[in-house]
Amino acid sequence: MTDDSEQAAGSAPGAPAPGGVGIVRPRDFVHPHAFQFKSGQQLPGFVLRYETYGALNTTRDNAVLIFHALSGDHHCAGWHSPEDRKPGWWDNLIGPGKAVDTGRFFVICANVLGGCQGSTGPSSVDPATGRPYGVTFPFVTILDMVRAQKLLLDHLGVAELHAVIGGSMGGMTAMLFAIEFPGFVRRVVAMATTARESAQAIAFNEIGRQAIMQDPAWNNGVYPADGGPRVGLAIARMMAHITYLSDASMDRKFGRKKKETAAGDGYTFDVQFEVESYLRHQGASFINRFDANSYLYITRALDQFDLAQAYGSLEKAYAPVQAETLILGFTSDWLFPPEQNRAIALALLRGGKRASYAELATDLGHDSFLLESEQLYGLVRGFLERERHEFDFAI
Amino acid sequence: MNKHVDKRTVDMQVIGGWVEGDSRVLDLGCGAGALLDYLSQTKRISGVGVDMDPAKIAACVRRGVVAYQGDMTAFMRSFSEGHFDRIICSRTVHELSDPAEVILEALRAGRTLTVGFVNHGFWRNRLDSLFRGRKVRNVVYPTAWFESRPANPVTIADFEDFCAAKSIRVAHRVFLRGDWKTSCRFRPNLFAGYALYDLEKGQAVTC
Repeated sequence: MTDDSEQAAGSAPGAPAPGGVGIVRPRDFVHPHAFQFKSGQQLPGFVLRYETYGALNTTRDNAVLIFHALSGDHHCAGWHSPEDRKPGWWDNLIGPGKAVDTGRFFVICANVLGGCQGSTGPSSVDPATGRPYGVTFPFVTILDMVRAQKLLLDHLGVAELHAVIGGSMGGMTAMLFAIEFPGFVRRVVAMATTARESAQAIAFNEIGRQAIMQDPAWNNGVYPADGGPRVGLAIARMMAHITYLSDASMDRKFGRKKKETAAGDGYTFDVQFEVESYLRHQGASFINRFDANSYLYITRALDQFDLAQAYGSLEKAYAPVQAETLILGFTSDWLFPPEQNRAIALALLRGGKRASYAELATDLGHDSFLLESEQLYGLVRGFLERERHEFDFAI
Repeated sequence: MNKHVDKRTVDMQVIGGWVEGDSRVLDLGCGAGALLDYLSQTKRISGVGVDMDPAKIAACVRRGVVAYQGDMTAFMRSFSEGHFDRIICSRTVHELSDPAEVILEALRAGRTLTVGFVNHGFWRNRLDSLFRGRKVRNVVYPTAWFESRPANPVTIADFEDFCAAKSIRVAHRVFLRGDWKTSCRFRPNLFAGYALYDLEKGQAVTC
């Protein structure tokens, strides 16, 4: 054990959100040994940036591993400083007394291998050349992400995971974790996810990649840290962002509302509608926090992920799973629609596994899994905290 | 225990007597998972429930019962023939819009099918309609018509005809009187308040 496995979260005085995990500090796990990717390529070592909340118990089996989605990161709860505009991306779900109760569980979340928020990825410097890896970085797969995070858990001294939880890409990683390390995981919660992307989802990712690669500033992946294909990456993000929402939610939020600054007659290509302004803002803020090459690598990892193809069939893929699973679909999710989530639960059940499926009626699209929903909290909490009980008619 | 809870117990005990230990059980219209919970604790079954109501699924998850939210026929179609040792359709059959489709599909995906229902041919139910001229209301169906789900009331005579027409083999049948405790042997369609059937696929089941 090293000092970085201590509890990082504490309720600092003046913490922005009472009831949350307070001010948190990211840490780096350095794996100093060679790491072999599924592609056969190698890295001499890697770093994973991660955060933890709550405390590991003496039996080291109360850990909950959170997996983030494509553009997410390790900062899933709490605040880095009182001046932060927003807390971690799943702060509504994770914290003391929340659905994932940090008073009971030791919660861990790491930025994926290949990412750009502190973990080793294409924007990291290749020690062999002294320059960023760029497209010489090994092709990363969901399996590589899972294996790297297992090394982090070993480093933290986790004996067994109480649960792995993730939405979207995080749901893929969570399921694959339970396949690869079956004896290590007791529960899986996978939401708004899929066992393999449909043609439509691959198509959207490809447009994003083309937007980046067709930007001359991409320059075959060789660009300075503060430069690169900013236009292409912003367009990729704008387009992808639409796939995370829904027609109904966009209509409610923006409708046909015009910007106050918009010219009255509309005969201009400047921003006219609120939704245009919103998307431009999404694109502009994304390029300041995300690396274009990482976007290429991670979307490619998403597209390549196909459990049925990798294992022969979905049933064969899930055959080793020992964990009990809760799959959650969202009615308005058209990126990874309910049918694809149901297919996971059905394949697990066909294989004789314990797998439940619930479908939440929301009109907020794919990102529904991130939104505040008592129904969602109830399902997650009930699944994580239930204990053996004597049969009781009164329940 | 109130009267309602008591009635639930009788039903479960009869079904529990038919369920084999360590078997694979599917409960159609599982509600909050009480029956599966009871069976997994008394018979160590591995069970799964299907229900359309998300609040019921959440209740199942809370008590550790495996549950799937969705359409029961579509669910059963995703499983191979005889995947389940037993499928249970308890107090659900009168709410189905196509009971034949569900029952025949259940006899494909399950080796055996248990059906339990309130007998609408029971004399009290007949008198209710005859003298009160109103929708049946009792402990089991406490709501007025305007706050009730669509119902497709069934009688023992109807169900016997159905099984004969579809060549479904009745392995066991249990009829209970109005108290849902005492066994009823005489003219069950008139004197039984509740009926339970243990079914198997017959020689020639046709849709």
